[in-house]
Amino acid sequence: MIKRIEAMIEKSVRALREVIYGMTVYDWVHELEKARNEQERLFTLIIFGDLLGVPILPPYHMLRLVPYLVPSFESWRRSMLRERDFTDLIDQEIG
Amino acid sequence: MSLANIFEEYPERRYIMFGGKGGLGKTTFSAATAYHLAKSGHRVLVFSVDPQASLSDIFERDIFGKGPVEIVPNLFAQEIDADQHIRAYQDEIRQKILDMYGMEEVPEEIESYIQAAAAEPAMEESAIFDQVVDIVVAAEYDYYIYDLVPLGHALYYLSMASVYDEWIDKITDLREEMEEYSKVASLIQRDKELEEDMILQELLDIKYRINTSSSILTDKEKTAFFFVIIPEEMALIDTLKAADLFAKYDVPLSGYVVNRVIPPGLAQQNIPEYLRNRLKMQEGHLARIDELFGEQVLAQIPEFERDVTGLPMIEKMAEAMFGSITEPTTAPSKSVEGANP
Ligand SMILES: Nc1ncnc2c1ncn2[C@@H]1O[C@H](COP(=O)(O)OP(=O)(O)OP(=O)(O)O)[C@@H](O)[C@H]1O
Ligand SMILES: [Mg+2]
Repeated sequence: MIKRIEAMIEKSVRALREVIYGMTVYDWVHELEKARNEQERLFTLIIFGDLLGVPILPPYHMLRLVPYLVPSFESWRRSMLRERDFTDLIDQEIG
Repeated sequence: MSLANIFEEYPERRYIMFGGKGGLGKTTFSAATAYHLAKSGHRVLVFSVDPQASLSDIFERDIFGKGPVEIVPNLFAQEIDADQHIRAYQDEIRQKILDMYGMEEVPEEIESYIQAAAAEPAMEESAIFDQVVDIVVAAEYDYYIYDLVPLGHALYYLSMASVYDEWIDKITDLREEMEEYSKVASLIQRDKELEEDMILQELLDIKYRINTSSSILTDKEKTAFFFVIIPEEMALIDTLKAADLFAKYDVPLSGYVVNRVIPPGLAQQNIPEYLRNRLKMQEGHLARIDELFGEQVLAQIPEFERDVTGLPMIEKMAEAMFGSITEPTTAPSKSVEGANP
């Protein structure tokens, strides 16, 4: 994962240079935002995971994060319903 | 080495815990130790981490949910009301949501999540241990005596703490990576202000709090953990198993205290047959305890004629544990530097 991030950043820095050579930034920003949204979704899954019957973190502490996640809560639920296997997703992302 | 010696020799061990199976005398020893230390001139807080707290019983005073209550000069006792704490905490979270988004009421889904989370089984324990962080970080006392829950629960907490620790680490890492993405994105876009990641801040704080409460349990320098045992077969077997488990979690064991020893001198008197039998069995168990724990046994406490409740009995217990206080310290108690957990 770290490697992927490093590669990502490297790529982005390179992107910056390429901008100078007339490349559009929009693609890169779009890429990055996509990656970030993916993580945001994974993150929300971890926080609210116990809604799916998997108590992942001490609910006591996780409650503190709820206020920040109100906006993503709805969209997360919608996208999660489309996801086929949550545990796969966890394994593959942070296992 | 005696119990009193441990306290003299290791004054930096300021977090005191008595562990052991249910009903062997943890609360009794906690209260008596608190009493002894307070009488010796230290400022002491004994507090219960048990939702079914029993300090009120032993001090014969209703202290539940009342914060630290001074029982005798320098001796404070506290029973944390977990439910009250959880309710206040839930309200805080609701209020934060309303404030952050200028909402009139918390969205239904979120509200039901908040309520469901509060009903989780580990909630009370978490709430209490979280309060403990505030208590020890405030560093207002020389000694903190944990009136512990029976072994199983303490072990459960320790094991959960280490699991949580790992999870929190992973999540924090993930969050930090996410921040990197945002940074790069805002770097490219230039104009976009990068807002501080509040979630990351919260996570780091949660991590700090979980670490603080669990690290005290395993701090070799500042923590003294005593096992309470009684001279009985089953208790011994269970204690051996538990000692093993605690060792796995690096709980620093300071020694064993044997409780409820029937005075062997009784054998010389005219006593009923069953008591004579018990004495004989006890002899065997005490020999076994000596064989198993030897030098680590710090005190043998006699079986008293009645339950230990109320100050006179607590005082008696304190004397049985530490001997009578020969030189009451007149020096004002002063806190030994900050708690810096
Ligand atoms: N040496 C003793 N002589 C007589 N009674 C005792 C002695 N030690 C403890 N007791 C009594 O035994 C009972 C159980 O003791 P205590 O509440 O301290 O145990 P505990 O380990 O804290 O129990 P729990 O696991 O339920 O918290 C109490 O009623 C206490 O007064
Ligand atoms: Mg008790």
